[in-house]
Amino acid sequence: MSISSDTAAAGEEIAATDDYFTHVEGVGDIPRDIYKYVKSDPSGDLPRYSMHIVIQHFLVSTTFLVLAATGLALHFADVFWAPYLIALFGGADTARFIHRIAAYIMIFTSVYHIVTITAGSIQKILKNEFDYKRTQIPTPKDLFDLIHDVKYFLGIEPFRPKMEKFSYKQKLHYLAIIWGTIVLSVAGMALLFPDIIAKIFPEVMFKLRPQAPANGGFPALFQDLARLMHADEAVMALIVLAFWHLANVHIVPGRFPFQWTFLTGRITREHQIEEHFLEYIRNLEEMPEEREYMGNLLKEKQSEISQKMPVSSLQKPAEKGAVDVSTPETQEN
Amino acid sequence: MNSLGNIRTRATLLVLLFALLSISFYAEAADKDNCLMCHKYRFLGRIDESGKRINYNVSENLYDHTVHRNVSCRECHPYINKIPHDPVKEQVNCANLCHLTTPFSKERFSHERIIEVYKKSAHAPQPGDSAQLKEAKPNCKFCHLNPMYTRVSEERIDYHESLNRCLNCHQEKGVTQAYKHITHRLRHKTSRSPQEIVALCAKCHQNVELMKELNVSKRGITAVETYKQSIHGKSVTLGSEVAADCISCHASNKLHDIYKKDDRRATVEKKNLNKTCSQCHARTNSWFVQVAVHPSTEREDNPIVFFVNLSLSLALYGTVFGLVGLMLLEIFGRRKGGIKFLLRNGTSWRGKPKPKEKKTK
Repeated sequence: MSISSDTAAAGEEIAATDDYFTHVEGVGDIPRDIYKYVKSDPSGDLPRYSMHIVIQHFLVSTTFLVLAATGLALHFADVFWAPYLIALFGGADTARFIHRIAAYIMIFTSVYHIVTITAGSIQKILKNEFDYKRTQIPTPKDLFDLIHDVKYFLGIEPFRPKMEKFSYKQKLHYLAIIWGTIVLSVAGMALLFPDIIAKIFPEVMFKLRPQAPANGGFPALFQDLARLMHADEAVMALIVLAFWHLANVHIVPGRFPFQWTFLTGRITREHQIEEHFLEYIRNLEEMPEEREYMGNLLKEKQSEISQKMPVSSLQKPAEKGAVDVSTPETQEN
Repeated sequence: MNSLGNIRTRATLLVLLFALLSISFYAEAADKDNCLMCHKYRFLGRIDESGKRINYNVSENLYDHTVHRNVSCRECHPYINKIPHDPVKEQVNCANLCHLTTPFSKERFSHERIIEVYKKSAHAPQPGDSAQLKEAKPNCKFCHLNPMYTRVSEERIDYHESLNRCLNCHQEKGVTQAYKHITHRLRHKTSRSPQEIVALCAKCHQNVELMKELNVSKRGITAVETYKQSIHGKSVTLGSEVAADCISCHASNKLHDIYKKDDRRATVEKKNLNKTCSQCHARTNSWFVQVAVHPSTEREDNPIVFFVNLSLSLALYGTVFGLVGLMLLEIFGRRKGGIKFLLRNGTSWRGKPKPKEKKTK
């Protein structure tokens, strides 16, 4: 791997302060904030998701909306808007039927997703291209990235962390989706087939612990928990998706009013460099045209970058220190 | 075409005329003693010795739309023998034999058999009951207010063809009504909708003060509330026709045999639960019948569920506020770094970052 924070070319002083430049073979030294100077196409410049992932996202998002609309109305049956929402789906019995069909499609999509990522990983392992850093697997670095990012937002750090293809936020969200899908599927099955599930789980328990009393109340407890968790998990998922996920992808600066990634599978250049810098370096290695673009940009902006950037990157922490002398934290930095 | 149109118009008029005639026909049949001559007046009434005002008005229009529209007045009020009437001391007895005859046995009709079932049930006054409890228990007329409930739409079963076979031997008038009556009752346990059943039972069972006065157990007092939290209850609230209402579980096909849950005869007694649940849940088993039909998430009833519920709601608020807070912080931080909301002309980084502007001033 030729990724290195080789700062020797940029001078001794910069190397001493931070890893501002990243040297890429055949391109040059890329400054950390080059995203402020690149041109981006709103529909996306760089590949991010395969067609399978785009289809899966489409299926999951549509079925989730249907499930949420029918499920919310059924769960909050006594609230004033519930009858209207239910009428939209053709009554309670039809709404329950639609809820089940949507649930089956969503479970199918989950299986489809597992097959895709497993097959893709096996393919990469065979080609010896597999890198766990480019996957959703959480690493300790994600925690440090989060701390680093919060520091940047508070003005303590000069730049955002160099993140992989999936940032700490996305990995957290992915874990939440795995957990949510498992809980909702199991609890949903307990609600749909209460008679079968009530038999399976306690019988397994009974075989494991034969001395336990047969009337231990476990079937009732399991069913109660299924009712509770199905609804609570769903409400949490809905609120997180509505207020966090949608805002994060379509409302935050740079993405407003609409980010096309979930339809095109491509990400804009400035977004990739800002939030997925290490992935962008890999893009440079893999894509000659991107290497050419970045090389040209660096030459074009050379005067601007070499004059302004090292100075600002040197001055920024110093100035920050001068401005925020009152806070002891910045002095430590 | 023109002549066809004429025939159609004439036929429609004829049908309308016939319909108009048949409407008045019913009322005449029921009122053969001409009681309505006086009782049609809206303010026909009196004030009795205790000062209670009693209205004797009978609305012909309303009565024609009740299930008893073919029963004449004196079938239920046989103690009215002369005009002016003697002071009324008796009450209407639904076990009376009417002059209506059933089309098959030619017996006079009576509600006696169902009243026998009711008299054994938890809703009938029993010898051991306190005076207050006897007073509070519902009699026939408390629940049966006499209107037509669910509209009979027999198109779902092949009504005309099967009825035509009956008409090979039977006279049309009697058998049509009998057939409708039976098929209608066969499809649903009750002629009321599940929503109406729940509303009817809730009339007393949701009245917490009344239930407390009658020393009903805590589970009894909260029965309606917990039912409405269950999946059955939520579905019924939203208009489901298939989810279980009160009667589905608490009574057999006799409908009036409702007993307390510890009673051996009760459908919700532990030994009978398998049979009761199997009405809808085909694969019922000894584990399944332990599941709570009236689930409670209160601390004293179900502590584990209560604490799981509490921790889940805390997790909900923690997650939502944490994540949204992080997002707001991110917007604040990146805006300070100089980013604009809109990606325009290929970049969102237009203009100078805000802190720098401050420093130049």
